[in-house]
Amino acid sequence: MSRRSVCFVALFLLAAPLWAEAPGVFAITGGTVHPVSGAAIPNGVVIIRGGLIESVGANLAIPADATVIDAKGGHVYPGLIDAGTSFGFASAAPRRRGFGGGGGAPAPATPPPAEPTAASLAVREVKLSDDDLEAKRATGVTTVLTAPSSGIFNGQSAILNLGEGSTESRVIRAAATQQVSFNPRAAWTYPDSLMGVISYIKQGFLDAQQNAAALAIYNQNPAGNKRPDQSASADALAAVVRRDVPVVFVADSELMMRRAMAIGNEFKLRYVLSGARQAYRMADELKASGIPVLVSVKWPVAPTSKEDREEQPLRVIRDRQLAPTSPAALVKSGATFALVSGAGKSGDFLPGIRKAIENGLSADDALRATTLSPARIFGVDRQLGSLEKGKIANIVISDKPIFEEKAKVTHVLIDGRETKLGTPPSGAGGASPLDGTWRMTVKSSTGDVSITATLHVEDSRVTGTYSGDRGSGDIRNGSFDGTVEFTIAAKSETESNDWVFHGTVSGTGMTGTVSTTLGTFQFSGSKGQ
Amino acid sequence: MKKIAILIAFTAAAARAENVIAIHDATILTITHGKIEHGTVLIRGSKIAAVGPNASVAIPAGAQVIEATGKFVLPGIIDTHSHTAVDGSVNEISLPNTGMVRIRDVLTNEDISAYRQLAGGTTTALVLHGSANPIGGQSQIVKWKWGHPVSEWPVADAPRTIKFALGENPKSSNFRPPPGTPLQYPQTRMGVEEVIRKSFTDARDYMAQWDEYDAAKKKGQNPIPPRRDLLMETMADILRGNIDVHSHCYRSDEIMMLLNISDEMGFKIRELQHVLEGYKVAKEIAAHGVGGGTFIDWWGYKMEAYDAIPYNVALMENAGVVTSVNSDSDELARRLNLDAAKAMKYGGLSEDEALKLCTMNPAKQLRLDHRIGSIDAGKDADLAIWTGHPFSTYSRVDSTFVEGEMVFDRQRDLQLRKDLAKEKADRLKKEADDEAKKKKDAKKPEDKNE
Repeated sequence: MSRRSVCFVALFLLAAPLWAEAPGVFAITGGTVHPVSGAAIPNGVVIIRGGLIESVGANLAIPADATVIDAKGGHVYPGLIDAGTSFGFASAAPRRRGFGGGGGAPAPATPPPAEPTAASLAVREVKLSDDDLEAKRATGVTTVLTAPSSGIFNGQSAILNLGEGSTESRVIRAAATQQVSFNPRAAWTYPDSLMGVISYIKQGFLDAQQNAAALAIYNQNPAGNKRPDQSASADALAAVVRRDVPVVFVADSELMMRRAMAIGNEFKLRYVLSGARQAYRMADELKASGIPVLVSVKWPVAPTSKEDREEQPLRVIRDRQLAPTSPAALVKSGATFALVSGAGKSGDFLPGIRKAIENGLSADDALRATTLSPARIFGVDRQLGSLEKGKIANIVISDKPIFEEKAKVTHVLIDGRETKLGTPPSGAGGASPLDGTWRMTVKSSTGDVSITATLHVEDSRVTGTYSGDRGSGDIRNGSFDGTVEFTIAAKSETESNDWVFHGTVSGTGMTGTVSTTLGTFQFSGSKGQ
Repeated sequence: MKKIAILIAFTAAAARAENVIAIHDATILTITHGKIEHGTVLIRGSKIAAVGPNASVAIPAGAQVIEATGKFVLPGIIDTHSHTAVDGSVNEISLPNTGMVRIRDVLTNEDISAYRQLAGGTTTALVLHGSANPIGGQSQIVKWKWGHPVSEWPVADAPRTIKFALGENPKSSNFRPPPGTPLQYPQTRMGVEEVIRKSFTDARDYMAQWDEYDAAKKKGQNPIPPRRDLLMETMADILRGNIDVHSHCYRSDEIMMLLNISDEMGFKIRELQHVLEGYKVAKEIAAHGVGGGTFIDWWGYKMEAYDAIPYNVALMENAGVVTSVNSDSDELARRLNLDAAKAMKYGGLSEDEALKLCTMNPAKQLRLDHRIGSIDAGKDADLAIWTGHPFSTYSRVDSTFVEGEMVFDRQRDLQLRKDLAKEKADRLKKEADDEAKKKKDAKKPEDKNE
């Protein structure tokens, strides 16, 4: 790969800062161009001017003022769009209520950010560091849709280009969606159960309807009517109820997707399902309903040890193996879908897509599901999603087909500017001391309770599964920032209630307390091999 | 002759398509009209088409015939106190009144307990919210339609229900929020009563607001609509008689408190749950037309459960209370037949009366006795075939039907266990093989580079 006109550009850099800021003219030559909107062009050319794509084709004349980027032997793609992330937001640490980590550790010095509301604007709150941006670009992603993953109404997401510059310059859409997650709050704060969360969401939409209706009547006839409250949250949700803004429901399992669909249908919302791990179970139905799906490629992971695997119920094993077939099933059914990295840092994006390809998704469909499809789902396909004249020049060049295991992203242009790349964050199996399978004993008021949990940490967010004396399932509200905290739905003979674990880790040991409706108990655990 | 053969073939095909099953030569415990020895139950579609002595029930050609000589048929057992098949916590614990939340929204068809209950002959349950607050969430009457989408589990035309709770649980006697969280109101039995009274008082105000709004609308005005409040809607629906109250309770004084408050506020208690001191005020409960769902021999597990006696069931039943035995437990829900049997020993109920404790009586408490609870023509084909009398500890269930569909069968289950074990082994092996191969592949190019 060589480059002409470097001196020429450097001259301008010295001469006039304003000009240096302006995106230049580029010609990407010699590579296989994948426009997505049409067939691949071997030895194609992409010409970029002023931040936009000027032309795409074979045998194009190279403009005299163009900087040539030689992509010989490589592949040229529209920048990938990761339309389901919490990029630029701290992980969803559950709110503490003054009883910090295990063993009475003090509350963290910087309190976790307040829970977002429907009125929250991701574009205002997002914090993008150069390191994060460079790492994300190195995975071929030029554009994200991001919102915090904490809270229930996560607020209004933003679609952002990941270029260098101010947040303002990155905005593709400032209030793209309203994101809703089914996160119960800490016990004794409404809503602290899943059923409570569902009622809370419905009441939110009802209030928005009522508020909009009340304001309409009041504005028409203020005399003699009580003045309705003005509420930013009600306004934000009124836009949703009017179908101006789509809702993204974060829902992983079939049952959660159905619960989200029930709400979406009841309030006649425009909505999208995000997560969708079990889309393989309902691909035809999703096609028939016309509901777009964002499939998170954070696939469930198996415990490391053989005996822990054997202890798991078939249901869990089966789901773990079938989840990555969801994208292929959606292609087969013809449903509209995109692939996304999901909440937390997204180092697993390319490996996760690769796993979907190993499970029957074609590379072409994977590309479409990370470019044109997400652009269409969120109505930005006139600007993004393919290599076409007039679209924003978000372009990725890789040395091998981008989804191949050994592929390396060599160039990323965003808004027609070359950007700095970092090292892609390492995928699964990070070095966190919490990663692994833990055998834990809870000293409950009715005796010892054994629970085995397989935990996985990414960006201080903890995910995983548990099984043992109190049933099995996914852990929830997991976080790790020196102290670990997570919740399980502990099923006893009579009832299922949340158990909230707070612990500290030292080596392969963990100790702490469990808060339950029956009191607070001590627990200890050790990590298997 | 040929014509007849075709006709028979045709009706046979129709019978198959329509799901016609004859359980032949069993001892049938009908509940409503005694025991039929050497009897036949004919199921057509989802309903019981006919029941009677073998000779009186014609089995259509093409029907699937189950020979049940020496076996017993009992209606599906009904459990009016279940917490099975709920995703997440069964308690929304955050407020004294959480009547806005609904168990219906969080049912799961992936709880193996539901299947295990079918293996114990239990087919219908009232899945209740927990008892952590005086007015809990809306409960849901379901049938264990194992293998069906969860949307089909709720009984479509069943009454809506809600959980109330009195005594130690709603006043947080035996548990505390974590340090730093304020104590939850109420902390006394007085407070529990106040929460209930205030909730209905608020509901009356709420209803008046809407009445006022509707009246103004009728006059052609354009008033601002009141807020539609999911909690107040629930309370109003209780007052309108659209939601049945099933209340957790123990002590006789608090039972009387609830009966009085229901008179005062004008709503109906359908069933008192647990009601371990029901025998002390059985006449009063009966006079209010309220049912009692209780444990036969669980007591002493907390202070308010110390005055329980196993004669409670018989004493309430004899006083005219429609009484049932229920489970509050995934495990006990599989053997409510045996709890019913104990009422013959403790209090001397007849066999027929005891059988009703887990069939017809809970059906009445759920106001579904027109559909379930006995083996009568026209009722839902919810029943189980037992290897012996269900009151014997040696008897077990051969197969269980819900609305005419065999949802549990012991022989099929034995085969399934083998199949599932094999699938698990195969899947784990494939996973291990794939991982080993990946490791090997990952090593190869490195070797070359060296």
